[in-house]
Amino acid sequence: MSAGKVLLFLFGGLVLIGVIGVLWVIGVYNSLATQKQAADSQWAQVENVYQRRYDLVPNLVNTVAGAANFEKSTLTQVTQARASVGQVHMQMPTGSAPTDQAQLNAYSQAQNSLGGALSRLLVVSERYPQLTATASFRDLQAQLEGTENRISVERERFNQTVQSYDTSLARFPGGMVGHIFNFSPRPYFTAEADAQSAPKVDFSGKF
Amino acid sequence: MKVFWLLFGIFAATAAFAAETLPPAPSRYFNDYANVVSPGTAAFLNAELDQFERETSNQLVVVIYPSLTTDSSLEDYTQRLTDSWHVGQKSKDNGAVLFAFMAQHKLRIQVNYGLEGRLTDATSKDIISDVIAPQMRANDVDAAFREGVAAMIAATKGEYRGDGQTNYSRHSANVRAAGGYARIVFFIVFILLWGLARSRRHVVYGSRGRGGFWGGGGPWIFPGGGWGGGGGGGGGGGWGGGGGGFSGGGGSGGGGGASGGW
Repeated sequence: MSAGKVLLFLFGGLVLIGVIGVLWVIGVYNSLATQKQAADSQWAQVENVYQRRYDLVPNLVNTVAGAANFEKSTLTQVTQARASVGQVHMQMPTGSAPTDQAQLNAYSQAQNSLGGALSRLLVVSERYPQLTATASFRDLQAQLEGTENRISVERERFNQTVQSYDTSLARFPGGMVGHIFNFSPRPYFTAEADAQSAPKVDFSGKF
Repeated sequence: MKVFWLLFGIFAATAAFAAETLPPAPSRYFNDYANVVSPGTAAFLNAELDQFERETSNQLVVVIYPSLTTDSSLEDYTQRLTDSWHVGQKSKDNGAVLFAFMAQHKLRIQVNYGLEGRLTDATSKDIISDVIAPQMRANDVDAAFREGVAAMIAATKGEYRGDGQTNYSRHSANVRAAGGYARIVFFIVFILLWGLARSRRHVVYGSRGRGGFWGGGGPWIFPGGGWGGGGGGGGGGGWGGGGGGFSGGGGSGGGGGASGGW
């Protein structure tokens, strides 16, 4: 074999390796992009169910406020918690999952304190039998319970999607390709933020 | 490193959580694992729910367990069950499951995305506490489920239209078709091999018994009952009286519905 042919072979081999490498990087990149996209759309679901609860609150407050001398402080707490959720929500990025753990924590905390205030409201309502007997209150209560359950389901799913994305970024090919193309890990809901005012704990604990 | 341990911890935790074995998807629409409903009512409701899927494509499933056996909450458990059963058609997510846990006196209606508009949380709650629970308290279990199912059907009617089939009947038709093809293919292969064997044997004899490549002189094409096994895959029947079997269509949900008890 002449020297020219050897060179040609080497060159061809290198080109082949290069092409395979590029295809491989594209594959890894696509899988990261898909996972990031999944996290963003799951975040939209989370916001969706939180919005659902946010929209329920005025109705609930109006219904409850109609009851004779309903405890004012409980209502005020709910209204305030809702207002702070509104404020935190405005600071969140739109269209994608949050990228900053502190920001997510603030969001989660505001949402949790609204959840806590609402569950206190329901517990206090038990002292007003005329109120709890009305169909509108029962409907609202069922909707609120359902919404709380949806929140926990969608939050859990969000955590799972973000965790699998973060894991891909932390492991070998994903980490390298992610570094080149500026993929950054995403924060997820942490247990500490949950524990502060999870509605379920409040139900049994406070009263 | 910290990140690694954090992730490791999370995976260990989810693995431990996932270790709970969930009951398999029910094979019928109406499933009384606690034997509290009369066979007649069970068959009637199963047929009714089968017919309902044919008309509306909605999948409503009832499961009655003797007892709630989970470390997590009722809602979390039933959510994971409906997730794994894929109740409702794919892309419509029009499924709902009524759960009853006899020992704990717990009820839950789990509604997937596609039926949330009709079977709202409030409606589900009403069905549980106004329709089912009073009959359960009065110990009329048959009436409780007959009226509960009727209420769920009434609530979810009209949103979607069916094509006269159930996911199960479509599926078993496919299996039958696949079984038919498999038989034809097998038959062709059999003929080919038979022809090959004949010509082969001819060659072997021609070269004065040097021991054929295909082994001993016996009819190798019938090795130990292999023929019988090949014909499988036909028929998808196997349900008892009263309606067909249930097979999930790929629906999913996000925790809609309501819980209650009696």
